[in-house]
Amino acid sequence: MEGPSKDTVVSLSDREISPEIIDSCRRGDREAFRALYEAYKDKVYSIALYFFHGDTGAASDATQQTFLKLMTNIKSFRGDSEFSTWLHRMAVNTCMDGSRKNKSRERSEEPLELVRIGEPASHDEDLARRQVASRIQAALSSLPPKLRMPILLRYFEDLSYIEMAKALHCSAGTVASRLNTGHKLLAEKLAKLRGMGR
Amino acid sequence: MKMADEKPPSGRIEPGQLPLVKAPDAIWKSIVAALDATPELRRVDRFSFPVWQWAAASLVVIGGVSWFASRPAKATWEVARLEGLPSIGSQTLASDGAIKVGEWLQTDASSRARITIGNIGVVDVEPNSRVRLVAASATEHRLTLARGEISATVTAPPRLFLVDTPASTAVDLGCAYKIQTDESGDGLLRVTSGWVSLEWKGRESLVPAGANCRTRSRTGPGTPYFADAPEALQQALATFDFGGGGPDAMNTILAEARVRDTLTLWHLLSRVESAERIRVFDRMVELVPQPDSVSRDKALQLNPATLKSWREELAWKW
Repeated sequence: MEGPSKDTVVSLSDREISPEIIDSCRRGDREAFRALYEAYKDKVYSIALYFFHGDTGAASDATQQTFLKLMTNIKSFRGDSEFSTWLHRMAVNTCMDGSRKNKSRERSEEPLELVRIGEPASHDEDLARRQVASRIQAALSSLPPKLRMPILLRYFEDLSYIEMAKALHCSAGTVASRLNTGHKLLAEKLAKLRGMGR
Repeated sequence: MKMADEKPPSGRIEPGQLPLVKAPDAIWKSIVAALDATPELRRVDRFSFPVWQWAAASLVVIGGVSWFASRPAKATWEVARLEGLPSIGSQTLASDGAIKVGEWLQTDASSRARITIGNIGVVDVEPNSRVRLVAASATEHRLTLARGEISATVTAPPRLFLVDTPASTAVDLGCAYKIQTDESGDGLLRVTSGWVSLEWKGRESLVPAGANCRTRSRTGPGTPYFADAPEALQQALATFDFGGGGPDAMNTILAEARVRDTLTLWHLLSRVESAERIRVFDRMVELVPQPDSVSRDKALQLNPATLKSWREELAWKW
């Protein structure tokens, strides 16, 4: 199967934030914070949206909280770790806190409406992508949070095991184990969905 | 070309198969509103000066940065008056000030103050509280809370910020929390974000967001429990921790425990005798199936690696 074009997916490395922008944020520069927000908002929102099973309200809350924490605490960012790793750690904590606070948000009644970022595709391509995405999203939603989050981090950010371990507060071995288990479960779920699609 | 009826992939997903989703514009507006409501985060307009003033300011900044980088670390933290008239030592704090290592900050029934903890966070000192700055170094940020209540919001590497009370030390693991105590050490920790480790004389309670932990004079930290745990469980736990225990208390704890109360049961494993430990273990695996990585024998022997591994798995339910 030929997958969709990868160039339509925004890569974090393509939008790396300069140290100058982070320094300006430390000084409370709102313009710099806006630039930083623009660079990372869709990644953070996407991770939260898939984590909360397509609940746009929960994802918006988590995104807002993540960036508010970032602005409040950016003075403590020492620069001895990757900024994106620090941001992911905050996003993961916010999602997990949100999940604990409101268990009801673990399931969404409405299907996820995807607004894709990237080049416009043909109607057929767009429809196919939406179908594949919604099936994967359905399979992802059935995974427990501890398996779902590593896959989202791996998928959206292509983080290394070490980076994920830092974001998830666990060892790289645990990350590897959870990714492995998550992918096996995902394969089972997708196989069922494939069967249903026939 | 991809066809509309194409089946989803059979297993591993790859970038591009799941589209990035655009964040709604309303999020930025809500962030701006929240920032504007927070005095210390209000807008700094970098274009409000003429160019020549920027040039002059740049020279001053360069000089300032050079001086800042070469100066010794200051052993004081900024203090802002929030309400009433707090005092530092014998001086009443009429506006903003600073607290030095060794000094006491005190609030009365109508005053509150905010301490900026170096560059890692803030501590709000609530009314009727007495706080001392013990250490303000690069490797240790430490307060003593002799009595009263503080709210701490900290983003820093684990174990950098510590608060001593008469019956515990709250060790920040990257979090937000409130801790209160009286002068004897009777108190309560409430964690709102992240984790706090409450430690005293070799006893350790790990408290996640949404959970509380009591402290008592001469006993130290009790067993953590979620704030939404059944009332009967909370009362039985207080009896177990500080009231002499007894079979009734343990029976109630085990009977009332829910899945997320495995937080409490995990701590109890190492705080009960071996016969009781088996009952606690069995109740835990009844609530949450035992992971493959956890051996029953090793868990009952309190093998540290096994308990840690189990806690990491259970934490996803907490």
